Amino acid sequence: MDIKDIKAIIDLMKKNSITEFELEEKDSKLRLKRGLNSGSPAIQSDDAIPLTSTTLPAAVAVATVPVAIPPAAVTGEIDIKSPMIGTFYRSPSPESASYCDVGTEVNAETVVCIIEAMKVMNEIKSEVKGVVTQVLIENGKPVEFGQPLFKVRPT
Amino acid sequence: MFEKVLVANRGEIAVRIIRACKELNIRTVAVYSEIDANSMHVQMADEAICIGKAASSESYLRIDRIISAAEIADVDAIHPGYGFLSENAHFAEVCESCNIRFIGPSPRAMNALSDKAVSRALAKKAGVETPPGSEGIVEKEQDALVVAKRIGYPVMIKAVAGGGGRGMRIAHNDISLVKGYHTARSEAEKCFGNSGVYIEKFIENPHHIEIQILGDNKGKIIHLGERDCSVQRRNQKLIEESPSPLLENKFKKLRDKIGKAAVRIAEAARYTNAGTVEFIVDDHGNYYFLEVNKRIQVEHPVTEEVTGIDLVRAQLEIAMGEPLRYSQGDVTFKGHAIECRINAEDPFDDFRPSPGRVEMYYQPGGRGVRVDTHAYAGYTIPPTYDSMIGKLIVTGKDRREAIDRMNRALNEFMITGVKTTISFQQAIMQDPNFRRGVYSTTFVEQLLGGARRELIEEKT
Repeated sequence: MDIKDIKAIIDLMKKNSITEFELEEKDSKLRLKRGLNSGSPAIQSDDAIPLTSTTLPAAVAVATVPVAIPPAAVTGEIDIKSPMIGTFYRSPSPESASYCDVGTEVNAETVVCIIEAMKVMNEIKSEVKGVVTQVLIENGKPVEFGQPLFKVRPT
Repeated sequence: MFEKVLVANRGEIAVRIIRACKELNIRTVAVYSEIDANSMHVQMADEAICIGKAASSESYLRIDRIISAAEIADVDAIHPGYGFLSENAHFAEVCESCNIRFIGPSPRAMNALSDKAVSRALAKKAGVETPPGSEGIVEKEQDALVVAKRIGYPVMIKAVAGGGGRGMRIAHNDISLVKGYHTARSEAEKCFGNSGVYIEKFIENPHHIEIQILGDNKGKIIHLGERDCSVQRRNQKLIEESPSPLLENKFKKLRDKIGKAAVRIAEAARYTNAGTVEFIVDDHGNYYFLEVNKRIQVEHPVTEEVTGIDLVRAQLEIAMGEPLRYSQGDVTFKGHAIECRINAEDPFDDFRPSPGRVEMYYQPGGRGVRVDTHAYAGYTIPPTYDSMIGKLIVTGKDRREAIDRMNRALNEFMITGVKTTISFQQAIMQDPNFRRGVYSTTFVEQLLGGARRELIEEKT
């Protein structure tokens, strides 16, 4: 991380009235705090500030897609996001038990749900190792690309 | 009657389609890539579904994702807009097999006009002239020389699978023909994976004149006059107008002739819904068929303004099975319309794309001014799609009034934060040749005073 990036983050914080910012990468950790309001809450993972955001002027933005800060650095939970568009089902068939519930331990290969698209049932894998803390979508509801399906606390 | 339509596109055309749907009380579903989450079409639609990452290949070109979105939203029809999947016959077939109406020509009509060679053959059958040239691909250098001798120099060597002005060479004599033949083939191989080339007569000072057509599902086809799109830079249109000053000033009878030719070609292809038949017209009034664009086009507002006919609404009505509400005799033309495309590009830096955040945005207004755009103050133009951010369409009682009004409107147009081609459009509006209506596709390059990059001739 160089001074240019840090300056860009500071500008972002000012622009969006953010007082506290923390970023943990493989080999570095950055914590910035503005003098305004020391009592303000830390940023929640859902509102994670994109490091390169669509509101940054083109000169600073590098990636073409907003990159979210790994929420693990902030609140400790990871979203399992939908990789496709379709209908969300919690179990392989109406009579069977759900693939997972709050408290289920999962690893990267665990099937957590089915997303049905055009009559094809697609098994969706967790891709994270941890414990399911929230089920975010109701059975039978439609989901879009990138939509969070479950929250997992990584172990 | 459609209850719900999915718009499989983005930007200004998605906004245009949503507006037409709203006026017919049809609910709209937008699809968008992650980077387009704040885009205007997403805000305007009744529902919006994210279909993938920014790259078009991951989103707007993904047939599977668009169909999935159409299914979970339970839509009756899909409007493909222009570009992306609008001329993809396979996509149209998938829609039909999923019981979703595709708002555009039938897959059969699309296949009848599938590529340039096939379309040329169809036009010939319909008794319409195509630029003299080789019958199909030229296999050997020797054959190229024979064709050139038959049709006469200058000639163009063009890639069959070509596009965007690539794989093209001009030749004025045997020596540059031989050189150009080989370099065109290798460029075509590199760019399109297909080294096939054909040879066509090069029309000097070509005028790009296109005819808007509409066809219903009962086989009735009408034309809605011409648009002159000769003001282009690197084969990208910058300005379109109707009527064509060339036809108005020199060849008034051609409008009817070219219009009828366009309808004949569309009938031969059993074309339905909206389309555009492109012609090249030379300085002597000879016209030659180029190709058919099987979709609604960027510049469709120009025709809407002079005919008073809502083309996107017509597309929806035709797709719903309604017969055309106009006959050819009902189509009348009033006034003169000009469209200037507004691109996020820097005309002072070789038209380098200028994505980024639009800071201040004030669009022109007043009588006879129409702006079709998805831009707004605070909108960030993503770098992943084409640079056109809007269209400024102006109508006047005649060409003179339209040009003066366009000048006035361009002057009012304020976009800061990104570079735009507004100032370049102003330069064109004030150019004496443009004002006189005397211009061909060489106009922009001459204005820029630079080398003509689209046409490369191999030096002897």
